[in-house]
Amino acid sequence: MRVRAVLVVSVLAVALSGCASEERSPAEQAVTRFYAAVHDRDGSRACSLLTPEAADGLSVGGQSCAKTVLELDLPGGQVREAAVWGDEAQVRLTRDTVFLHRFPRGWLVRGAGCRPRGDLPYRCEVRS
Amino acid sequence: MRRFVKDNALSLFFLVTFLIALAGQSVAGTADANDRRLADGGATISWSQYVTSSDFAVDVAENWQSEYLQFLLFILATVWLVQRGSPESKKPGEEGGESDAEQRTGRHATPGSPEWARATGLRQTLYGNSLGLVMGTIFVLSWLAQSVAGTASYNEQQLSQLQDPVSWGGYVMSPDFWDRTLQNWQSELLAVLSMVVLSVYLRQRGSPESKPVGAPHGETAAEG
Repeated sequence: MRVRAVLVVSVLAVALSGCASEERSPAEQAVTRFYAAVHDRDGSRACSLLTPEAADGLSVGGQSCAKTVLELDLPGGQVREAAVWGDEAQVRLTRDTVFLHRFPRGWLVRGAGCRPRGDLPYRCEVRS
Repeated sequence: MRRFVKDNALSLFFLVTFLIALAGQSVAGTADANDRRLADGGATISWSQYVTSSDFAVDVAENWQSEYLQFLLFILATVWLVQRGSPESKKPGEEGGESDAEQRTGRHATPGSPEWARATGLRQTLYGNSLGLVMGTIFVLSWLAQSVAGTASYNEQQLSQLQDPVSWGGYVMSPDFWDRTLQNWQSELLAVLSMVVLSVYLRQRGSPESKPVGAPHGETAAEG
């Protein structure tokens, strides 16, 4: 979240107003593009929408990210809601929860196929 | 100009050192934030992005609120509580808000008294408590700013760790909020305690915060 000034009152006013709504769309669109690539069986395109670390994590045992990503259990679904805080976002789908990070070139997926574990971090099929 | 600087040297000294420290915090904070972002597999940010981030805001606000609370408590507690031998305290027996004559208010105002000290009723009450009211207001606003910016900063961290974000209400009940708050409060309260007690027995020649070097330990409210 971008707070517009360091003065306390300004911090308060802007922090209250800047919490997430205007940037939901780009994050949701990134998730939609990722799942469209998975649905189209286009592994290369899906991997290009992952963070570098997440893509590296799927390049294991001599198998490419493009192949591995299509073998994972990524349930997807319709976008229900999104939360954006600073350069991090969480997009909830009907059957999945996706985490993203904002890079200079846009939002990239850092976690997908995620299942909640109470107070512990989500367990994700794709994660950086 | 030279006269202005000399007459306001104390304020100018703290203003300049405050700005230098704030600038230093912003540079060090940017480097620290980028270390963490790289470790989390994220992208780095610029100095200007960092100083407009909730991370910077919460770090600034949490220190501001505790400093203003420290002075607010010191201002109010010294109205009613004394410490024998301390130059920071009134003499024992003088506890309380004192009379109009002692405070030079209302009809006891002198020619140089502020206009609102000469007034009666609400205006005098407001002016008579204006220092505490302003310090208290800044404390409350800073603490509120800490909670709001802290919510944003905490949620960004939560999401980077693949955890759910929380509401503002959830954040102000969280260990993170109270850890940030209380670690600042305890240090400020210890500093005031140290000042009150040490100034009974120790001296700083020439400082109005100290008793004169030769003043007895038991002498209260004497300033050197």
